[in-house]
Amino acid sequence: MLGVVIGISSVIMITAVGQGVQKSTASEISALGTNVMVVSAGAARTGGISLGAGSASTLTWEDAQAIAKQVPAAKSVTAFLQRGQIQVVRGNINIATTLLGTDLNYKSIKSLQPQEGLFFSQADLDAGRPVAFIGSKVRDELFSTGQSALGADIRIRGKRYTVVGVAESKGLSAGQDLDDAIYIPLTNMSSQIVGNNALTGVAINGFWVEAADAEQLNSAQFQVTNILRLRHGIKASGIDDFRITNFVDIMSAFNSVMGSLTLMVGAIAGISLIVGGIGIANIMLVSVMERTREIGIRKAVGATSGSILSQFLTEAIIISVVGGAIGVGLGIALAYVAALLFKFPFVIPLWSIGAGFGLSLVVGVLAGGIPARNAAKLNPISALRSD
Amino acid sequence: MANMIWMEGITQTFHLEGMDLPVLKQIDLSIEDGEYVAIMGASGSGKSTLMNIIGCLDRPTSGLYILDGRDLTTLDDDELADIRNQYIGFVFQQFNLLPRLSALENVMLPMIYAAVPRAARLSAAAESLTKVGLSDRLKSRPSQLSGGQQQRVAIARALVNHPALVLADEPTGALDSKTSHEIMDLLTALNQQGTTIAIVTHDATVAAQTKRVIHMQDGVILEVEK
Repeated sequence: MLGVVIGISSVIMITAVGQGVQKSTASEISALGTNVMVVSAGAARTGGISLGAGSASTLTWEDAQAIAKQVPAAKSVTAFLQRGQIQVVRGNINIATTLLGTDLNYKSIKSLQPQEGLFFSQADLDAGRPVAFIGSKVRDELFSTGQSALGADIRIRGKRYTVVGVAESKGLSAGQDLDDAIYIPLTNMSSQIVGNNALTGVAINGFWVEAADAEQLNSAQFQVTNILRLRHGIKASGIDDFRITNFVDIMSAFNSVMGSLTLMVGAIAGISLIVGGIGIANIMLVSVMERTREIGIRKAVGATSGSILSQFLTEAIIISVVGGAIGVGLGIALAYVAALLFKFPFVIPLWSIGAGFGLSLVVGVLAGGIPARNAAKLNPISALRSD
Repeated sequence: MANMIWMEGITQTFHLEGMDLPVLKQIDLSIEDGEYVAIMGASGSGKSTLMNIIGCLDRPTSGLYILDGRDLTTLDDDELADIRNQYIGFVFQQFNLLPRLSALENVMLPMIYAAVPRAARLSAAAESLTKVGLSDRLKSRPSQLSGGQQQRVAIARALVNHPALVLADEPTGALDSKTSHEIMDLLTALNQQGTTIAIVTHDATVAAQTKRVIHMQDGVILEVEK
């Protein structure tokens, strides 16, 4: 029974994990969009060790504004300054989340729709007001269900902010959980939270550039590079102090990865089906072998070959069905846990349940029935003597 | 008295690696209803083979076998299974109980194949176990019982369908001498109540308790002593 359960649940779980990862990769890729790129501040280097993109304050808000003005291919530009693991307190609730200072364009580029209230306004941005637009996960952690977050005060790094809106759930985008974040005016973020500005203006981690389409994005990238090098006074031989990530390139790379991923999921499902099938067959075979003596005893007291066969077939069917059902249940539960744990969508392909269950039944009946038929045909004396 | 068993010219030949190995050679044997018989002989004498044929666990190569007035030579496998179920009770040296079933369930087994309704099976099995002195161990598994108790369960199982004939193959072979005595006393008592019993043994003290001893050697009946 255990073998049946393990066989079936692994088929279901593996296909569910495969499909879930595939689906989440697909949605993440399409969420990136083919017409956006991100310009990040250059990697600071200490003794040749890169501290990662955005670790040096080489980009300013003024850079982003200049790009918005001077690059015709850039439809929209939004700057951001962010810090992770910022302490947020409301009453006696204390959480840590990502704090992101930005401007109004962030809302449209990331298509953040308010489910309650509004994104902060231009006036909030200009005045650097302490107002917060919060992600749905942050809302859920700070406020109980049914309680309105609008107008409530929260404390971010000990400073008081007023909640002006709550975003609809968006999930992951470019590896970042948009729901587990608080959005505040960039001006406020810069002066109140971060506070170490570059000499040339308001330091930012980077900015997003949205073009009309993928075609326009290539020219935008070229123009952005030129303008930034010019603004930063980088000579022809010097290297960029910023980095542009163009998602069109990543897209095409991902597309080929997706193809292999689909193939891999199929292959894994096939292999787990075979392994599960062998497991079930093995258990059934062993069970019949072990029980040849039992068959002999039953025949000695008057069982016919037919009644032996129907007994063993009934048992095989019960084991297959019960084991299969437990396996399906366990597989779905494991897939669900894995989906929660590793944050990919929970999908159970119906065919995997059908295949798992069908496999259990077919293999169970064949592997239980064929040896039972042979054993039932044995002369009772040979069956009795087996050990 | 009527004949329970009538055998004429029974032979059994095994084929081993292309060689014919005659195990029983022209056996003529009759056992009457209500008899208490021992079949004795050294190992290889053919006594177990004869017993398997008497018990319909195996078919003879040739010869006539009539059990309780029925000619068994022409029956197919399923009909033989019915004969074993209705006419014959087996007691084996190694008890041959199903380890996963309780004493009661083991005794009920032959009645399942006789299509006896469950309620009747339960009461008949309990009654049969009471007869062998195990009324207090109905729910015990074979592993929870001593060898003697297991053999009593096997005897209860052999009796439960009221067979015309009880066949015991070395019934005391796996038991100590005190328990052997108890089992033999039980079989003797059953015979006195009218059950025909045939015991295959190589133990002279066991054979001495029966009323007739059939000696076998090299596949033939050597002598019959009363």
